Amino acid sequence: MSGTAERQPMLQVTNLKKYFPIKTGVFSRTTGYVKAVDDVSFDIYPGETFALVGESGCGKSTTGRTILRLQNATGGQVIFKGEDVYAATGDRMRVLRKDMQIVFQDPYSALNPRMTIGAAIREIMRVHGMATGNELHEKAERVLETCGLQRHHASRYPHEFSGGQRQRVVIARALALNPSLIVADEPISALDVSIQSQIINLLEDLQDEFDLTFLFISHDLSVVKHMAERVGVMYLGKLVEVAGKRELYENPLHPYSQALLSAIPVSDPARRQERIILKGDVPSPANPPSGCPFHTRCPYAMDVCRSVVPRLRRTDSGRHVACHLIHPPEQHNGDLSTVETRIAH
Amino acid sequence: MRIDALDQENVRSPFQRVLRIVFRDKAGLVGVLLFGIVLFSAIFAPYIAPHHPLEQNLRISRQVPAWQEGGDWEHPLGTDNLGRDMLSRIIYGSRVSLTVGFFGVLISMSLGMILGLVAGYVGGRTDNIIMGIANLFLAIPYLLLVVVVAAVLGRSLINVIMIFGFTNAPLFVRITRGEVLRIRKSGYVESATSIGARPGRIIFQHILPNLIGPLLTVATFEMSGMIFYEAGLGFLGLSVPPGVPSWGNMLAAGRQYIQFSPWIAAFPGLAIVFTSLGMNLLGDWLRDVLDPKMRRSA
Repeated sequence: MSGTAERQPMLQVTNLKKYFPIKTGVFSRTTGYVKAVDDVSFDIYPGETFALVGESGCGKSTTGRTILRLQNATGGQVIFKGEDVYAATGDRMRVLRKDMQIVFQDPYSALNPRMTIGAAIREIMRVHGMATGNELHEKAERVLETCGLQRHHASRYPHEFSGGQRQRVVIARALALNPSLIVADEPISALDVSIQSQIINLLEDLQDEFDLTFLFISHDLSVVKHMAERVGVMYLGKLVEVAGKRELYENPLHPYSQALLSAIPVSDPARRQERIILKGDVPSPANPPSGCPFHTRCPYAMDVCRSVVPRLRRTDSGRHVACHLIHPPEQHNGDLSTVETRIAH
Repeated sequence: MRIDALDQENVRSPFQRVLRIVFRDKAGLVGVLLFGIVLFSAIFAPYIAPHHPLEQNLRISRQVPAWQEGGDWEHPLGTDNLGRDMLSRIIYGSRVSLTVGFFGVLISMSLGMILGLVAGYVGGRTDNIIMGIANLFLAIPYLLLVVVVAAVLGRSLINVIMIFGFTNAPLFVRITRGEVLRIRKSGYVESATSIGARPGRIIFQHILPNLIGPLLTVATFEMSGMIFYEAGLGFLGLSVPPGVPSWGNMLAAGRQYIQFSPWIAAFPGLAIVFTSLGMNLLGDWLRDVLDPKMRRSA
């Protein structure tokens, strides 16, 4: 984060937690929690693209949704442009919502089948009182044009469009309010490969044109490499590594990041890449392993990994990693709880 | 060729497009026609019925239909045991059937829609309470309820309508709640939430328009069911009072003469069958028409 240190972050996520209760039996007793997002912290700076990567079910989408308060967080803090999102109520929240938008993964369910796409875009402008009458129509059509659609498309229904076009509509809708932050929740994974690059290019063009900040959630590492400036790697609800794109792709520090990145296919058949194959499956987030969540599959797991939860710490090079290999637990000076846990085992 | 057809469709006027939708589906056309006939005779009964439905003439009792030996066109479908004109009674009978069907569905659909919306949208304990009551209602055998009400309050059209309205409401509650839950999870409701739309807007702009299609379709089938059951109750002597010409009552009256004058029971029976058939076909057709994927923007 060396290059961005002097700037004020646009979004600060601190110790964000989202637990889903597991209810069993006739009386719906809560018997446990699925820790979908567990103690996640990161900052996003204005104008950058921050990517969250990880395999499915690791909590990256839930992170995006709790940031926008589409789901309420169990704990933690989200500060957007200096304002606590979870403290905002009523009208203040509406003002905040105007400034942060989401693009969903599935463009087929993201549009109301009974509304023309023009009406859908006009609706959100009307909610925020941005324009009325003819101006409203004009603005909506202009947004569509910006996103590579035609003006006359405004009077059509969603089912008349292809997946890629629908995603353009969804992006246009997100853009209609001139937000500064867009959470793109796997915006291309439901699309055809040939369409994916078009949407990626559109997002990049829009970022340049409107000075947007992206939280880009994806499991496609090649796309992330193309899009993002900084990347956060998630595993089982926890952030295990946050680093600049180049550092991460060239020299991943966390063993999970290493395994994940070794899975990117290489287009040159002559270049053989060492593929790290992880043993076993991802443990259930309802019953996460003690200590480091990754120790069950980590090739370097040590005794300490089974008992002590590694925390996301800054390395000398300015990256953040949660791993005992990088930050041996001995360095946790004065952290009594950690020491006690170790003695107990 | 298919693409040409679609393009041409765009050029047509809205009226032509409606006609096209009607003629595209032959079964739907039959449904619309059958329902239209019943609706027409219910509304204009006094103008099209050749006789008053209660006018008795014992000298011509159990007269055979016109096309049989001994019949005449004064009474095209013959007369019943009291010499009343069958055709006129069937025409007037459609009024009872349609009234029960229409208002019964109106009551159960409005009740069910409101409760289902609340249950699905609010969720939690409210949802549990509403669904609990709905399931309780579903567990009451309606026939028993009808017998009790008929015994205590007497036989009347209003009672039948109320009973049908209330006992069928749980069905609509369930469908509405299920649809609301599905729609709430959809991306468009989430994105409406994410732009800060208020619940009223979400309900009226996003949830209700997507509910109407499936609900109207179910309503048509339910209406057909109610017409059917009303006739059943009439046959058991539990529906409208005996003097009122209803298809069920006519069926019951014709039962004892079925061996020698089968037309007295047969014609109301046919009326019930064709009305039910028509409404079921109409329901199928409505389901297709109300699907926005079938709709072309102008």
